Amino acid sequence: MIANPRSNYILAGLPPDAYARLLPRLEQVSLALGETVYTADTELRHMYFPIDCIVSLLAVMKDGVSAEISVVGREGIIGIGLFMGGTGAPNHAVVQNAGTALRLKAELVRAEFAKGGSLQLLLLRYTQALMTQMAQTAACNLHHSLEQQLCRWVLLSLDRLPTNELAMTDQLVANMLGTRLEYALDLATRLQFARLIHYDHGSITVLDRVGLESLVCECYDVVKTEYARLQPLRGNAGTHR
Amino acid sequence: MVGTTDPKQNMVLAALPTSEYRHIASGLELVVLQAGVSLYESGMRMEYVHFPLDCIVSLLYIMKNGASAAIALVGREGIVGVSIFMGGGSTPSRAMVQTPGWSYRLKSSTLSSEFERHGRFQHLLLNYTQALITQMSQTAVCNRHHSLDQQLCRWLLLSLDRLPSNKIEMTQELIANLLGVRREGVTEAAGKLQEQGAIEYRRGHITVLDRGKLEAGVCECYRVVKDEYDRLLPHVSAA
Repeated sequence: MIANPRSNYILAGLPPDAYARLLPRLEQVSLALGETVYTADTELRHMYFPIDCIVSLLAVMKDGVSAEISVVGREGIIGIGLFMGGTGAPNHAVVQNAGTALRLKAELVRAEFAKGGSLQLLLLRYTQALMTQMAQTAACNLHHSLEQQLCRWVLLSLDRLPTNELAMTDQLVANMLGTRLEYALDLATRLQFARLIHYDHGSITVLDRVGLESLVCECYDVVKTEYARLQPLRGNAGTHR
Repeated sequence: MVGTTDPKQNMVLAALPTSEYRHIASGLELVVLQAGVSLYESGMRMEYVHFPLDCIVSLLYIMKNGASAAIALVGREGIVGVSIFMGGGSTPSRAMVQTPGWSYRLKSSTLSSEFERHGRFQHLLLNYTQALITQMSQTAVCNRHHSLDQQLCRWLLLSLDRLPSNKIEMTQELIANLLGVRREGVTEAAGKLQEQGAIEYRRGHITVLDRGKLEAGVCECYRVVKDEYDRLLPHVSAA
């Protein structure tokens, strides 16, 4: 199926001239669950515009322990390092929900960004929203329970998907939470007992969104509100919800 | 030797080419920042951005129940107010002076116009923001996985790197707020470092006696952040 580029909020926000310039250069790719889009210190060759997939930015320690820092979906892009100045990134980007993305070669991104037009504005505003999510993750990791963090992450993911189902694996859920597998399963099972989600080997179906929202910490709302403020376009963008 | 209030003590200002520096020089205004002062509050549009010289500003988030957590710190290597050029104009977090000192402030509108020239200034500001993003994401992962003892060492080392001497003025109350823990926790962690001879702690004044001991006690997060700042801001590490 051919993806509608305008499902991605950054592409949707471009005025017709910039959009027409970039459109023929966009390449559609399928991103598989668990696939690594980039690892720390690899040179970024493309910028990815998710259409219906979700990518997690993870920090991975030397001993292999990890923690999720942010989720990125159709509202954003993967590869901010390309225009912020570094050539790489200090974290890993791992596909957490399989799907389609469009990608653009690094040199094209840099050339368009250097024009200082609408793409630059959209990317910088998006990056600021992403910074809010990172900052909130830092605060959340310090003060809130893993159960609340799981709710936050499920809700943020859900907001980026056309369905109410997240198709993960047990191990990816554990990596994202930065906890042991057994503990991650235990948390998911508790949410299932409360009839908030259905959990099956990493596949999460949300049954009661309002219930999740009543359990989640304030961090979810802070992030959501800031994205809405910084990306006012998102209401009109794309074909999803 | 440059004076203590030379604007070029700030590394972003120091790295500007003369032509671009001239554009803003007359707009720079020297101010003293006292500990505990807020440079901006959550959601507040800031009138000025700050270029710290010898002070340290913490970006922190404060929960509805008053619990707080520091997300990153900014000193002479950077600028307080990245949301001005990133486009949002405000953030949900707050910027609070952690260690007092001198800073130059500049009207946010002046900074925005300079940023829009797409010159070296823009490049420096984006590079700096990328480094700041690294610090934020490392704080997130450190908060998840590392002990308070390690986090305190990280905070002390990152602060020390931004100060002209080995003295850090900070009360335990303030450190507790930054690290998002109770004061007793900080007293205990600082007490251990004092016993080891790494620091001397006296009523709001920390003197680092043995930097090597702090580096031995810190988690890898300090090095990740430091290396990334050195890579992205070569003008800082060379200075």
